[in-house]
Amino acid sequence: MRNVIEAKNLSKVYRRGREEIYAIKEVDFSVSEGEFISIVGPSGSGKTALLNVLGCLDPPSGGSLRLNDIEISGLRERDLVKLRRDNIGFVFQQFHLMPALTALENIELPLLFSHRDGNKSRIDSILKRVGLGDRGNHLPGQLSGGEMQRVAIGRALINDPMIILADEPTGNLDSETSQIIFELFSDLNRQGMTLIVVTHDLDMARKAHKMYKLKDGRIVGCVQT
Amino acid sequence: MNLFTLAAKNLTRRRGRTGLTILGVAIAVSVLFSLLSLNSGYEKELNNEVNSMGVHILAVPKGCPYEAASLIIHGGVIPKYLSASDLDNVTSIPDIELATPMLMHQFLKKDEKTGKSTPHIIYGIKMEDMLRLKPWWEVEGRFFMENETNVMLAGRDLAEKENLSVGQVLPVGPNKEQFTIVGILDRTGDQDDQFHFFPLVIVQRVFGKEGRITTIAVKVRDVSRISAVSEEMEKIPDIQVVTMTQIMGTIMNLAGSAKSLLLTVIIIALIISAFGIINTLLMSVNERTREFGMMKAIGASGSDISAMVLMETVFITISGGIIGMFAALMGSSLIESFVKGMLPYSPSGSLISFSPELVAFSLAFSVILGLVCGIYPAFLSSRLSPMEAIRSGLE
Repeated sequence: MRNVIEAKNLSKVYRRGREEIYAIKEVDFSVSEGEFISIVGPSGSGKTALLNVLGCLDPPSGGSLRLNDIEISGLRERDLVKLRRDNIGFVFQQFHLMPALTALENIELPLLFSHRDGNKSRIDSILKRVGLGDRGNHLPGQLSGGEMQRVAIGRALINDPMIILADEPTGNLDSETSQIIFELFSDLNRQGMTLIVVTHDLDMARKAHKMYKLKDGRIVGCVQT
Repeated sequence: MNLFTLAAKNLTRRRGRTGLTILGVAIAVSVLFSLLSLNSGYEKELNNEVNSMGVHILAVPKGCPYEAASLIIHGGVIPKYLSASDLDNVTSIPDIELATPMLMHQFLKKDEKTGKSTPHIIYGIKMEDMLRLKPWWEVEGRFFMENETNVMLAGRDLAEKENLSVGQVLPVGPNKEQFTIVGILDRTGDQDDQFHFFPLVIVQRVFGKEGRITTIAVKVRDVSRISAVSEEMEKIPDIQVVTMTQIMGTIMNLAGSAKSLLLTVIIIALIISAFGIINTLLMSVNERTREFGMMKAIGASGSDISAMVLMETVFITISGGIIGMFAALMGSSLIESFVKGMLPYSPSGSLISFSPELVAFSLAFSVILGLVCGIYPAFLSSRLSPMEAIRSGLE
């Protein structure tokens, strides 16, 4: 299988005054097409930092990162926007839905920026795919947490990304709803989607093909589940 | 969905704040719009008023400043007089079609019920001459004759305000002589609506000003001779000559300084309003930092986000602009009476004149205001790093 993400010696340093804090330290990491990967670790271990660097939301401080065979270091912001838009779908812990837009419009939002045709049937099919066929015209305020996260997943899917990156997608949900969201991820994976999910929840993490353990910014273990 | 509908939906999220910001812009634009419409209306009305005098040149007593001369056409009373010999001297100048003497005087009319006295302006005139100067005059009742005594005409506004009617008798002057209103002028739309008109000799007798006149109004046969005639008139020792062009210029100058004061106030109001808008937008950008971060994460570029913020701003300022113009149209009479009080001289007709160019200008102004106010918040929001934006929202 082809590698969609390939990181070598990847580092991310944050500076606080004179102090340098390594959020990620010399990480070697790769993801093949169709893989479902989970990343676990204690708070402050660098899980979110790693996900953000992999998603081109945060530039790496050192090492190399290839996304879909494109080396991202040295790319201009404009090219990073395009790369992100065309290849990556994000799912956040806080959902980050636009409160004034309906579920349908929230799912449609990325099309506005990618200037793709947002035909109704495609948006409807995504809505059905995430199990919200009858909730399209509801505002986020009228949806439950689990439903909001499904809208967010629908939004991540609309641009046909190569990979979905999810940061604690069940962090704000009860265990039953978390279970449903992970089932949805597993379904998407079975349909061929590549996924990286950062989570605290070990039970959930074990549903992935591979589980990476992170500690102090380094990968300290990898378990095939 | 497009960026425009997205911007519009964003604005509906905080209706109270959006409404107040729009109101701020509306107030600023309505004041600007009124002032500009007033500016063009003022000049137009002033022209009308000066032309409605039917006079080319005014002769006033020497030492009387232009300002006082300007007041004469508006019924001002000045405590200096010309004599009958001055009138003869003026009349002897060739090229003059008509030179008619006038005496202005004031009397206080006491209201029977409230006991308050209001000043009334009296014009002592020669009726035949006046009808040649103002052939458009029409009257309810009749005009008085040259040799009549104890008769008067009243201006239309004055008659309505004081409930005067033809045949009514008024006590006038220090001895409270009884005068019968023989006619009420039809509305002229200018200053004549505000005055009483009496035969000249009667005013001179009643107020003890025999042989005295306030001004000589001159109509020249050929307008191209105005300056030649006024040069001739200046040779008469007691007389100061004021042409209508000079009066216009003086009034425009006087009004100019009052208008620049008004304009300064309005510019300050606009600047305050602009900072208010910028502040509101910055607050809204700040509150939505995390949202912008999310938008960048899902594929929005910096220019998408700044375009959205700019659209929101322009939407606010255009709405404010349209509401402001409507408010200015609705409240024009209020604003007019306020401004009339501020200006040293104001014509009696409506000062406000709206034109399509002015509407277009005010709309363009609203758009520019929006762009100017939105540019900094838009720039800030476009520069946000998606990661930092998302993180900042979590703190």
